Amino acid sequence: MGIRNLCIILCFLSLDLNARPISYSGGSTLMAFSDNMKNSIYYHYSPSYKYSLGVEALKDKQLDKDHAYFRLTYLLNRKNTRQSQRNLYFQSGVSSEGLDSHFYGIHGDWETRRWFTGFGYKQVKTDLEDYSSQYIQLGIAPYLGEYGDLHTWIMLKSKKNSLLDDWSTYPVLKFFKGDFLIELGYSDKTQWDIHAMYRF
Amino acid sequence: MKKLITLLLLLPLAAWADDPMEGHHSHEGHMHQQLIDGESLEVDAERFDKFIERLFDAQIAIVSVKGMVCDFCARGIEKTFKKDKSVFKVDVDLTRGKVLIAYAKDRKISFEDIKSKILANGQNATGLQIVEL
Repeated sequence: MGIRNLCIILCFLSLDLNARPISYSGGSTLMAFSDNMKNSIYYHYSPSYKYSLGVEALKDKQLDKDHAYFRLTYLLNRKNTRQSQRNLYFQSGVSSEGLDSHFYGIHGDWETRRWFTGFGYKQVKTDLEDYSSQYIQLGIAPYLGEYGDLHTWIMLKSKKNSLLDDWSTYPVLKFFKGDFLIELGYSDKTQWDIHAMYRF
Repeated sequence: MKKLITLLLLLPLAAWADDPMEGHHSHEGHMHQQLIDGESLEVDAERFDKFIERLFDAQIAIVSVKGMVCDFCARGIEKTFKKDKSVFKVDVDLTRGKVLIAYAKDRKISFEDIKSKILANGQNATGLQIVEL
């Protein structure tokens, strides 16, 4: 069994595992995302804590085209304990270019106040070329802030896209305070990986 | 690289085990009172005193919450309760997994209402203590 298959299987087995793709009931979230694959702006609304509906406008850098996804994210499983929370989500999107261009996947996370681990796997179908992408992420909070403080995470992220066919592993710093979050990562191979989020 | 990836993937598997801290109860320096369900509850006395400063004609609901592990994900709790006009103030104690809500004294506090508001944020309320000021 190749390392690729092993990773995919382990990702699906690691049911414990993400980064808040659904807000609280009635909440809205605005995200900006930039990496080697795309630049995007994504807005979603959560009618319930179990799912969110949104629109993502993006520039696909690999396929060199602009389009939008109408997205649905659904919480498949959550376990809350006194010290931790784990989540498993289904994610999907249909392109503004038509039903034939779409994506679906799964992602999850498990976190305590000190530790974070997450993974994601996505299958993308386009009119030009199909591909898959996957990532795993592990993080530690160097200090435990109180409610309202600036919170910091030091993370290690490893990701792969079938179009590039190689894993890229790099450090990521995540900061959040109040309703604002920013995640910054840099790799020689894939350059900057930036994710900003505002919840309202 | 393969070893690193394998290690990163295997680590989350441990999270499926039940939380070893679940049910843990510290008795160090916290105020203890009787809950409506008979269990005891802890609250940081200093934090509580700060919370009730300048509050009059109020009652405090101290709610135990499971799954409240990060500041960012607890924001919705504060926003949801602040929509209620009889709520004066809300505080979140991430360390102890508590939400403190100051209600007007004449407001009837319903644990079912609190549970549904906490659940709307994706967490679970498991205990309630009411302190009259």
